[in-house]
Amino acid sequence: MLTRHWNASRLGAILCGAALGCAAGLAQTAPKSTFTTDVAPLLTRKCLECHGQVASMSNLDLRTREGALKGGQHGAAITPGDAAASRLYRHLTGQQQPQMPLGGRLTDQEIATVKAWIDGGAGWDNGVTLVAPAKPAATSENTFTDQQRRYWAFQKVVKSSVPPVKNRGWAHNPVDAFVLAKLEGKGLRPNPPADKITLIRRAYFDLIGLPPSPEEVQAFLADRSPNAFTKVVDSLLASPRYGERWGRHWLDLARYADTAGFKGDETRPNMWRYRDYVIQSFNDDKPYDRFIKEQIAGDELYPDDSASLIATGLNRLWPDESNLANPMLRRQEILNDITDTVGSVFMGLTYGCARCHDHKFDPILHKDYYRLQAFFAASFNEDRARLLEGPKRDEFRRQYAAWDITTRDIRAKMDAILSPLRLEATSKRLSNYPKEAQEAVLTPAEQRNPMQWQMYLRSRSRLPSAAALEKTLKGEEKQRYAELKQQLANFDHIKPAEPPVAEAMVDNGHVAPPTFVLAKGVWDAPLAEVQPGFLTILDPNPPSIVPPEGVNSTGRRSALAKWLANPANPLTARVMVNRIWQYHFGRGVTASSSDFGVMGDRPTNPQLLDYLAATFVENGWSIKKMHRLIMLSNAYQQSSAYREEAAQIDPDNKLGWRFDRRRLEGEVIRDSILHVSGQLSSKMGGPGIFAPLPKGISMPGSKYLNWDSAKDATEANRRSVYLFVKRNLPYPMFETFDFPDTSESCARRYSTVNPAQPLAMMNDEMILDWARVLAGRILNDAGLSPQQQVERAYRLVLNRAPKVEESNAVLAFLDWHSGIISRRLERNEKVAMPDRVPEGMPPARSAAFVDFCHTLVNSNEFVYMN
Amino acid sequence: MTRQSQISSRRRFLGQTGSGLAGVALTHMLHEDGLLAAAAADPLAPKQPHHAPRAKSIIWLFMEGGPSHVDLFDPKPKLKELAGQPIPESMRPKVTAMPGTSDNGLMPSKREFKQFGQSGLWVSDWYPEIAQHVDEMAVIRSCWTDGINHVGGVTEMNTGSILGGRPSLGAWVNYGLGSANRNLPSFVVMLDDRDPIGGAREWGAGFLPASYQGMQFRRGDTPLLHLKPPAGMTDEQQRSELSLLKQLNQIWSKDKSEDSELDARIRSYELAYNMQSAAPEAVDLSKESDVTRRLYGMDEEETRAFGTNCLLARRMVERGVRFVELYCGSGSGWDAHVNVEENHSKWCRASDRPIAGLLTDLKARGMLKDTLVVWGGEFGRTPFNEKGVGRDHNPWGFTIWMAGGGVKGGQNIGSTDDIGMYAQEQKAHVHDIHASMLWAMGLDHLRVTHMHNGRAERPTVVAGEVIKPLFS
Repeated sequence: MLTRHWNASRLGAILCGAALGCAAGLAQTAPKSTFTTDVAPLLTRKCLECHGQVASMSNLDLRTREGALKGGQHGAAITPGDAAASRLYRHLTGQQQPQMPLGGRLTDQEIATVKAWIDGGAGWDNGVTLVAPAKPAATSENTFTDQQRRYWAFQKVVKSSVPPVKNRGWAHNPVDAFVLAKLEGKGLRPNPPADKITLIRRAYFDLIGLPPSPEEVQAFLADRSPNAFTKVVDSLLASPRYGERWGRHWLDLARYADTAGFKGDETRPNMWRYRDYVIQSFNDDKPYDRFIKEQIAGDELYPDDSASLIATGLNRLWPDESNLANPMLRRQEILNDITDTVGSVFMGLTYGCARCHDHKFDPILHKDYYRLQAFFAASFNEDRARLLEGPKRDEFRRQYAAWDITTRDIRAKMDAILSPLRLEATSKRLSNYPKEAQEAVLTPAEQRNPMQWQMYLRSRSRLPSAAALEKTLKGEEKQRYAELKQQLANFDHIKPAEPPVAEAMVDNGHVAPPTFVLAKGVWDAPLAEVQPGFLTILDPNPPSIVPPEGVNSTGRRSALAKWLANPANPLTARVMVNRIWQYHFGRGVTASSSDFGVMGDRPTNPQLLDYLAATFVENGWSIKKMHRLIMLSNAYQQSSAYREEAAQIDPDNKLGWRFDRRRLEGEVIRDSILHVSGQLSSKMGGPGIFAPLPKGISMPGSKYLNWDSAKDATEANRRSVYLFVKRNLPYPMFETFDFPDTSESCARRYSTVNPAQPLAMMNDEMILDWARVLAGRILNDAGLSPQQQVERAYRLVLNRAPKVEESNAVLAFLDWHSGIISRRLERNEKVAMPDRVPEGMPPARSAAFVDFCHTLVNSNEFVYMN
Repeated sequence: MTRQSQISSRRRFLGQTGSGLAGVALTHMLHEDGLLAAAAADPLAPKQPHHAPRAKSIIWLFMEGGPSHVDLFDPKPKLKELAGQPIPESMRPKVTAMPGTSDNGLMPSKREFKQFGQSGLWVSDWYPEIAQHVDEMAVIRSCWTDGINHVGGVTEMNTGSILGGRPSLGAWVNYGLGSANRNLPSFVVMLDDRDPIGGAREWGAGFLPASYQGMQFRRGDTPLLHLKPPAGMTDEQQRSELSLLKQLNQIWSKDKSEDSELDARIRSYELAYNMQSAAPEAVDLSKESDVTRRLYGMDEEETRAFGTNCLLARRMVERGVRFVELYCGSGSGWDAHVNVEENHSKWCRASDRPIAGLLTDLKARGMLKDTLVVWGGEFGRTPFNEKGVGRDHNPWGFTIWMAGGGVKGGQNIGSTDDIGMYAQEQKAHVHDIHASMLWAMGLDHLRVTHMHNGRAERPTVVAGEVIKPLFS
């Protein structure tokens, strides 16, 4: 609900769902009211939580008369003697929006009391300063209603029994029975099955994000066995391309990017290992419970497994303002991002709404937000986490220790030279920091408390490096330092080579700094301290937290990971199977796949969702088994044909009487063009690729682009998932096709139609170039017969034979278009030619064929999954 | 290419647009401004405003980097008295953008301020030509924001939040009103120097669909990315291709006639094609007279870049573009930490005549009354010095002004304190500025909402109020 953006500021009033309404008829005769007995208690109870000491929302402080007169962001709160002109009164009545107090109007009697008080001059007895109640209302607990406790998403998953259906022949598997039962309940029948070509294309796009080859289609058509489609699905699930396709879905959820965003948009040079980890995990069919545990607490739970360390990168993916002059605020922003992401990705809940107050609609307490956050209180990003396992790691440690001991004296001497400079440079660089943060950084490491460590760790990027300090040395010291450096270099041969590193999230020691509920989410307005804890309505008990053996860590995240991955957790499996369903069908059983709360959508088929969730856990959390279950159903294999009489009853196809046609993602379109033209590289993994950008993307003088496509010229045809993801420069073609904003988790992409898409598809030099190669491939395969050329193009690009009217249209086009090109060739103009031309094919005709191929990859059929 | 084939090819393309679609395409080409029925798959179909709009378009002159209000529109004689003295302890900000600048002495402006127009508004000698228009301008001297760094400031001024991810104001306007000319983007961004801080997110759609985002108009004759056919392809060739594309798409759509998205996609190719000629036409200044060019300062080196953009802005607005945002000093140009005199002399010179020319031209064409012109940066600058002759960032108090679009000119709104440190009276937060700009366009900021993560998100996040005195 609240997006991450708005808690940082102290200003906002707090309205989330605007309480719209108009002033009710107000009370009658003005009662006599005195400040102390009538007004002060009202202000204290109803206003000061937000307009008091800890939080002065809208800069309004109502603790004193002076404060009320001075007012806030929009001016004086009271005009003594004139209630009607007073903002306080106008907000209470709703004449001015938002109506105050938020979430609950005062009674008419109470409003009348305030009116009479203001009209009577707004006296403030003895100039007293009011005090906000000790326990703000926002940390309420045990006030859940029965309705909330009974809410569907919080109920234990019970495997639904397969419902009886009339059309038993259609109910191929339990998924079908659940779908059909709903359809029959509405008097609907499902569509007939899709034809085999449509079906194989659908399966290919769905599972690997690429169309099949004509040969693969042919084999499927020729296979008359009842399990022909099963074989296709299994072979796709076994393809490494599968992880590249489904890993990308997870990367959307993970807000994956290779840079930090904000002004600096710094590259995170090893973040790609997380991307590769995700792809590999999908390919390996890593059990989802293990996948969760690795990403939340892989470092603690599986310390001997490098992949698990890389996995923690999920919580390293926050956008980061490295230039923020306040490490506490920076830390808070990061923690908020992690809290929001974990709540939304694994639990499908809008935890973010509880950052400033109890969730307005769901039973997520204000303190629950910080209970979840507390699991991460000790975490920091170890951006050079060494990836070593077993004996290799022991050997590295042994060699490193030897080098460390041998060179300790030299390094101590070097440090002694730099130390005074470092102190001075640090003080100077941090002079705009808050005092406590400056102190924290300057406190010697061994004396820092856990919170000071956090401040230090969030300041590292601003601290002077040894290299920078060295440059400031002068005279004798400079010379001495150079000598020592040379001495140190003499021992380089015994220093072990640095292993690969990952950007991981680990804890800084056994002890976490305290976590507080924050008033209105403001970082320096702490309320009560909280301990790590789960969603209160599900599990109010304190988790069992044990620091893991052999790892210098709190053990907090392990407790969270185990709770999330527990089969008894009612959210985890439901949320994940719903996501899987969504990526197959374009829409989840619950459409709001990251919001299972009351503001989200209800599941259209709750029994189906629970059946899937229970089966998922029974199957050892195997995602591939879910794919099989779903894709081998008749529900999945239906055609996308439209039926008026069904649309009358279920216009949005919520119950699944047909398969929803949908546009492919930008990445799939790019990969598919490369694939059908035979150019797609199958190389997997590694640092992000800087594929060519369209001309004019950046201002000539810009220093922020930092995108060297020449460096990666030979890698330009890698799969889209391997392209570098720069937060401040989304890859233009993907962006026009609704690539998600990487500033937060994306549960479901938009699918828009806009003119930037055809501009990119028609006019990008690269796409025309791919069409040249595609044309060359087709002509090379087909030879000189125009009919066969068109036939081959259709088979390669659309996996089917052209219809007669299509052939005719294309052949007419080629004739007409060759004429245009001939005239151009006569004028010696440069035209795009196929990269290979069969002997005897006229140049104009060859060039026309390029433009035909260009047209074909622009066609609706090519960019839609049917 | 013969004339005949050109016509013929064109006819082929249009002739095959089918009964309904041809009508739509042609209407778009004829510069619509009415309320056409909104197709489900058409996010930019024109929509009804909430109330009668004062402005049809906004031109936002974004002085990126933070112009110094105390040297331009908010004279502070008190600073002369206090020159060199430290800022009173009670007024010292807790943090500053640059380390330790609040220890530095107060620095009076070296500029000379005078009153102008019938209204007698004060303007410094850095803006002599803009000063001639004060009677059209409402100068809001009490602005404040949250972002103390550039990226936070620019992002908040554009999106209402110092963090990325929210839709920009222009995207919200697109979302709320749709497009008035489908052959051009409805939200256009122009830069003069480098990319702005934060890059394309500054005109991004955030959590709104991508259709609403701004499009950057680039310098030269191909203002949009991918606007020209690729090398080796002529217009005739492209039209022939498009004609085949339409034919093939229609064959495929025959048994899918209910799918309005497929229609929309067919239509998007027509719109894109139209854009290919409409956009270059919009930026083709060859028919503008020398008088006009001089008016915008295009005849002089210092003012040419921004003057060209200002003239382009007028041409966009003439063609129905709703939201034009043009950066002056994109990439923190106005960021005068080191030397205010040197920095601002350059940027004021670069922007004074172009802006004055724009106001003159809009007025002469009768366009000012329904074009809201907004001038300002992401924050102002401190009254205390930095490095002796520079000034640090000041998000606590600064000036922006608005003109046209129903704005009551010749007035100051709000004030800062005696030294220009904090906004004091009638404080106007960024959300209030946004609410006011939307209001001028006929939109109520509380009612422009989009469900996102379970919350009805709006442009002003959780706050904002229309600055009522702005409008007559």
